[in-house]
Amino acid sequence: MTNVAQEIAIESQHAAEAQAASPADKGGGKKRNAVFGLAVGWLVFVVVLVGLGWIFGDSLPLLRDPKEIQTDAVFAGPSWQYPFGNASFGEDIFSQVVAGGRISLRIAAIVTFLGIVIGGGMGLIAGYYRGVIDSLVRLVINVTLSVPALLLVIFIVTIRSQSEKWVIIALTLLAIPALARIVRASTLQVADREFVKAAEVVGVKRSKILLREVLPNVMPTLISFAFLTTGIIIVVESTLSFLGLSVESPAITWGSIISEGRNKFADTPHMVAFPSLVIFLTVLSLNFVGDQLLKRFDIREASL
Amino acid sequence: MILILIIIALVAIVGWIVYSAGPKFALTRFGGAIVVLVLVTFGVSAMLSFTSGEESTRQALEELGVSRNAQPCVTALGTGASVENVNACVEDRGLDRNVFAQYYVWAKQLVWEQDLGLAFYKNGELLSDTMEQRLPRTAWLFLYSQLTALVLAVPLGIWSAYQAGRSGRRFPSWALPVGIALLLLLGFFSGFRLTSLFALVIAFAALYSIFKGGKMADNNTNFLAFALLSIPVFVLGETLRYALAIERDIYQLTGYEPWSNGAANHIKSIWLPAIVLGLAATPVYLRLLRADMIQNLQQDFVSVAKAKGLSNTHILLRHVLRPSTVTLITVLGLNIAQLVNGAIVVEFIYDLDGMGSYLIQAFARREFFAVQTIVALVAALFILTNTVIDVLYTAVDPRVKADAE
Repeated sequence: MTNVAQEIAIESQHAAEAQAASPADKGGGKKRNAVFGLAVGWLVFVVVLVGLGWIFGDSLPLLRDPKEIQTDAVFAGPSWQYPFGNASFGEDIFSQVVAGGRISLRIAAIVTFLGIVIGGGMGLIAGYYRGVIDSLVRLVINVTLSVPALLLVIFIVTIRSQSEKWVIIALTLLAIPALARIVRASTLQVADREFVKAAEVVGVKRSKILLREVLPNVMPTLISFAFLTTGIIIVVESTLSFLGLSVESPAITWGSIISEGRNKFADTPHMVAFPSLVIFLTVLSLNFVGDQLLKRFDIREASL
Repeated sequence: MILILIIIALVAIVGWIVYSAGPKFALTRFGGAIVVLVLVTFGVSAMLSFTSGEESTRQALEELGVSRNAQPCVTALGTGASVENVNACVEDRGLDRNVFAQYYVWAKQLVWEQDLGLAFYKNGELLSDTMEQRLPRTAWLFLYSQLTALVLAVPLGIWSAYQAGRSGRRFPSWALPVGIALLLLLGFFSGFRLTSLFALVIAFAALYSIFKGGKMADNNTNFLAFALLSIPVFVLGETLRYALAIERDIYQLTGYEPWSNGAANHIKSIWLPAIVLGLAATPVYLRLLRADMIQNLQQDFVSVAKAKGLSNTHILLRHVLRPSTVTLITVLGLNIAQLVNGAIVVEFIYDLDGMGSYLIQAFARREFFAVQTIVALVAALFILTNTVIDVLYTAVDPRVKADAE
């Protein structure tokens, strides 16, 4: 659903402009800290829960085999025993959500990492060295971003295979140019500042300037956008599995639970509601954390 | 015929831009756009030629008496296809030749012969026929969703930006959480449906914000937009489908009705998908417009206008909204990509047989030749619109050109 770059660009511009518009925003500070804490708390909670489910399997309380059939609980709504209710064969949806988080979060984390390393590197080099490399990187960015994200990802995944590897590759191809564009814009600004100029005049090697002066100053932007990108990748991946085009069927992802639940929507609305809620809260937290970090680091972005 | 009209319109736009912004500038922008377009279509074409599969499949194909690279044709025609058909298809698409020749074959067919190819290779359905049937649905969906988004985002954005700089009514701020809690309790005990309860809470928060005004209203609007931005389109679509089409009978999932069946039927058949797609686009516009307007409200010309004694409405609409509109139009152009993404999902959810659901079908049937053409068309639309908007922007606002140079 999201054109990664566009949304990020808009978000970043908004953040910068809101920052510029209200430099002295004192009243809401404490409240915002509380919400920030809540968002971080939710993210930690989700990651820990999914991680625990991954390590200990179904030996934990409330968790069981996500494919286990319970004949006495078919279509059952939420209960103390099954907090998220049961699916059409009585499978426990809470366990499914915990198990589905593995693939969803793993893909998001790997894609973000690769995107930050490769895309960030590209943007850094293009923004600092300029010249031919810059033109080339800009061309790559423009070419990739002129195809709607979801269309491109579906295209790549279907012509190759619906495996986790290819979903990751397709999403990474999307994240790289988006992040490259943002890092490049940020690098351009940093490279224009006095301390970089001073280092150049003194005669420090350019590669050293890039690593010692430019990179640390681009880092805050990069970290903020890591959160925003993770959120967007989770959305794109779950959309993909909602359409049945992500990792193939025995594997569970958050999107695939929803797509299974929607087939018998009148019987199992909870099967759509709870995974949706989990996705929504996770993405909201990621966006909020990214947005707040961007504001706290006080970075002016102008990349639209 | 349509093509000729499009070309005439394009020539007129290009002519005007060259006239107003200078030929060199226009040339670099349009040249760049064409390079990007060629590279995109070539990239898609090259990706398709990688489908040829693994070595074992290639050998198996060779043993069957068809070309080694026939894999895309075999998938397109199905496993029951005869050797002659596959060979004809390979010949037709130039699969035996290298990537560049394949791209040339495809581009020549599309541009020179204006032949879009087949929508479904197996039954020989023409893509142009499919598009004629399905494109209007998607086009209406886009139009209505954009209208919804603008109708929601522009007034809210203006209002929110205006409230940001004011102090609100003196009204206790704890009334909002207490009110929501009361509402939840009341609804829960009188057996309201969860979806109605949710709608009630949102309506209450909105009413409260409107009454209270000031910084808090701005924050609330902003937070709602932020939350809406974080909801995936498919979650929004499914929720509203459940609430309005399954639980209640407000929207009928009976499929699309064209204008010729009556305006009421037409609107009735498409309003919910359009609202879902519109709601997905609203926060993007709202947040941007709000930020832009807050910035503009701090400019000197606003103080001058206030000193002259102009009314608030006049200042907001004539002095502040106008410069912000240009930014909004740029984002509208960029949003085409997101609309296409959204249309794929929304048409899938609401069984609206438009281009988006055709794409899903085509992917499921592995009709890559048609998909290739559509991806190219979408990319062309996106690049063209954005280049035109970009250059128009420059023609309207000379500061941008000065910055670029």
